[in-house]
Amino acid sequence: MNVLRYFRIRSPWYCRLEVLAAVALLTHLLVVWAIPYAIMAALSASRAAEERGTGPLFPPMTDASSRRVVMPSPDLLYATCAFDVRQRPLRIQADPKLPGYWSIALYAANSDNFFVLNDRQAAGAPVDLVLLGPDTPAPAGLPAGAKVVTTPSGRGLLLMRVLVGDYAAEREAVEAARRTLRCTPLG
Amino acid sequence: MSRANVQDPAFRPRWAGVLMLYLLAISIGAGSAWLAVRSQLEAGGVSAGVWRTSTLAGSTDADLYTRAVIAVGALLALNRDETMYYVATTDSVGRALRSRCRYRISGPAPAARWWSVTAYAEDRFLFPNAERRYSINGGSAPLDARGHFTFESGPAAPAGTLPAVPWLPTPGDRGLSFTLRLYNPAAGLAAAPATLAAPTIELLGSCE
Repeated sequence: MNVLRYFRIRSPWYCRLEVLAAVALLTHLLVVWAIPYAIMAALSASRAAEERGTGPLFPPMTDASSRRVVMPSPDLLYATCAFDVRQRPLRIQADPKLPGYWSIALYAANSDNFFVLNDRQAAGAPVDLVLLGPDTPAPAGLPAGAKVVTTPSGRGLLLMRVLVGDYAAEREAVEAARRTLRCTPLG
Repeated sequence: MSRANVQDPAFRPRWAGVLMLYLLAISIGAGSAWLAVRSQLEAGGVSAGVWRTSTLAGSTDADLYTRAVIAVGALLALNRDETMYYVATTDSVGRALRSRCRYRISGPAPAARWWSVTAYAEDRFLFPNAERRYSINGGSAPLDARGHFTFESGPAAPAGTLPAVPWLPTPGDRGLSFTLRLYNPAAGLAAAPATLAAPTIELLGSCE
């Protein structure tokens, strides 16, 4: 039995080095895997704390003081909701009446962009989504016309983007558009 | 273990040594993970001229490393059907970009519904500037008769250029990168990101 012989001839120090190498490798993979989760958890926690149950956040127009998320886009006005649908689904509604680009994107706990809807896809119709957790059954009596979206993780982040060419000139229209966003727990 | 050993101030129990070895292994694993992610921030993906883009940004198909790199370097990116992100860290002849230098960026208007070029410092945040101008976009960059845009970046506004070209302020002496964003890119470009007609980045002057 070559395998038995192999284990028999190795010194205890060699075995220990192998175990240490395995620990280092597993730690390496675990850290790489955990980085997006940790960054998203920190971001979602801070957003949730700021929301204080009052619904979406409407941060000011991006400028050089915007340092929460790397590479912020200065061409976009944002609205955010940190979601947790492990217990209850979330209803997402918006009705931005704008001629330019806007989108509503959903990010899982590992930062994957698992859903996005933009103005062209909405084609002028109001947005009405019901977000379900991965193990949450659809509730009875879904709002009529609402589209069901299932998230791969119970927690995550919603990011609404509204394109702004000249904020001073377009302020009234773009602010009104993003403030149509509603994130309401169902049930 | 003898009583004499325990009372010796230089004595360390065997488990302490083993614990240190495991802590060392964990440190090596965690450190190498962070280095692997950091080293991939400016690498990988597809090139168009000096502009690079990740084909997996925001995608649910991203692998373990790509997802970590995107989370660190471009968190909350959209998938490429929605938005494409091209990053340039060198000029068109391969010299690292510096904010104290003047550059002329020009090229054909990208095949997208909307485009913009944003200047970021080495920390991946915007340059503070009195003009509060952080990007040049399809709305602010005039096109010439060929459908090409031109603008300049640098710490001071370009002087004596006629016609006047838009200026993207990059104050100080810092690392610099440009990010080209394409919102709703043309389907052909989204399918083949390397086919972008890449804008050129030309160093103006000597940059002393």
